[in-house]
Amino acid sequence: MLKLFGAVLILLSGTLAGFHQARQFASRPKQIRELILALQRLSTEITYGFTPLPEALRKIADQMREPLHTFFLNAAREMGPATGLTAQESLQRSLHENWKRTSMKAPEREVLHQLSFTLGTSDRQDQIKHIQLAVEQLKHEEATARDDQAKYEKISKSLGLLIGALIVILIF
Amino acid sequence: MNKLAGERQHGGGPITNPNWLELLPEPVKSILHQLPHHILSVVEEVRIREGRPLEINGAGSHHYVTGQSTLTLDADKAYKPQREVSRRLLDLISNHSLYTMEEELRKGFITIPGGHRIGLAGRTVLHAGHVEHIRDISGFNVRIAREVKGAADGILPFLIDREGNRIRHTLLLSAPQQGKTTLLRDLARQISSGLPGLGKSSLPGMKVGIVDERSEIAGCLKGVPSFDVGPRTDVMDACPKAEGMMMMIRSMSPDVLMVDEIGRGEDAESVTEALHAGITVVATAHAGGIEELKHRPALAGLIETGMFERYVLLKRKAQGLSCRILDQQHRPLQLQTGSQRGVNFLA
Repeated sequence: MLKLFGAVLILLSGTLAGFHQARQFASRPKQIRELILALQRLSTEITYGFTPLPEALRKIADQMREPLHTFFLNAAREMGPATGLTAQESLQRSLHENWKRTSMKAPEREVLHQLSFTLGTSDRQDQIKHIQLAVEQLKHEEATARDDQAKYEKISKSLGLLIGALIVILIF
Repeated sequence: MNKLAGERQHGGGPITNPNWLELLPEPVKSILHQLPHHILSVVEEVRIREGRPLEINGAGSHHYVTGQSTLTLDADKAYKPQREVSRRLLDLISNHSLYTMEEELRKGFITIPGGHRIGLAGRTVLHAGHVEHIRDISGFNVRIAREVKGAADGILPFLIDREGNRIRHTLLLSAPQQGKTTLLRDLARQISSGLPGLGKSSLPGMKVGIVDERSEIAGCLKGVPSFDVGPRTDVMDACPKAEGMMMMIRSMSPDVLMVDEIGRGEDAESVTEALHAGITVVATAHAGGIEELKHRPALAGLIETGMFERYVLLKRKAQGLSCRILDQQHRPLQLQTGSQRGVNFLA
């Protein structure tokens, strides 16, 4: 009886792990797309609104869903007058604290990391160019992420169950 | 500096906006924070130059500051801020958004909360022969603005026309850095709030228009004055004087028009226009005295035609600030010294 219960438990956790992995594959391109939209919005705020960076990030955060909402909001908060942090440090700190909660991977993180060095430090034209570059890179990553999704989303679901089954067979 | 600090302290007045230090990056902030209070309270300028000694100016003298917060005249012993410091400073004073400062970069200074101004030096980028903005900014001059409420107490009674219930056309004269702007700011505040405490010569608050070409009088941040310039005061910020005066006359119907440092031909024309429109003009000009003023072609006309009814001559002396008031015919009305209330202040 106890054996049966254990076997079911292992199968169940294997399946869940598979589904979780599949969801990661599905949400990565979605989040990259959201990030691209956010950067395009930022570019508009800079060009036409002359909005200061903290305010612009806050506005963007309001229109975003989690986990990007917290990422942008945190960055804006870190730029507050009390902290004494630069835009670069604020962005990198927020990146460090919030990145794990996203489904995105290292290449996207690197794009934001690079952007943090220039954001807010030059004139409008230069800012737009840098944001544009980041958007292009993200679009490339988005395409890769979609390929991965098509390839691995379904497989991960079945693979979770199968690995669970394998462990059960090996143990008993 | 200590000696000078002592002299000026009694009349220096509190800095009502002492937050300027908060915006500086570490370690400059800590170094300046640890300076003795009597030095910090008379600092007029902090100069931060990349790779060169940190310098403070005040009370007519300059000193370098060491990493241990002591003053020195030896440049080698002084603390030298590195590139990281100027990068951080620029990030902080521009609110992390240099792209919003294009106009400021063209003019060469940024106004920060509290009305303090930070002058910038670096490599300029030209467009069609004019400066478009500054890049590689490596020199900062933090000019600490001081608001001295009551600075104009001593001279105000002489500027009131009791019969006409109005303020007289006034020209404030002095060499640079003697306190004209501080005086003008307090005049704006008092005239705008009304003068109930002057007995027979009490006046209700008047509409005051300030044309603040260099953002010094009101220290505007996003169009809102950082200094108390009175409840009935409108400020045309960062606006060329002559044009701003005409705009004010046309659209804001001021009773009193205030303008800093008139000197060019078109300024004089606008002042004449305002005087004839029944608006009182209170202006300042760089000059050691009325004689000097007569040699300046743009202003000589204004003096000869007797446009101004009062002249206030300011001079900073060792014992404080002296202030002479002359009437329309340039006859002295009253000689005041720095010991009287309201005439002692920092520039």
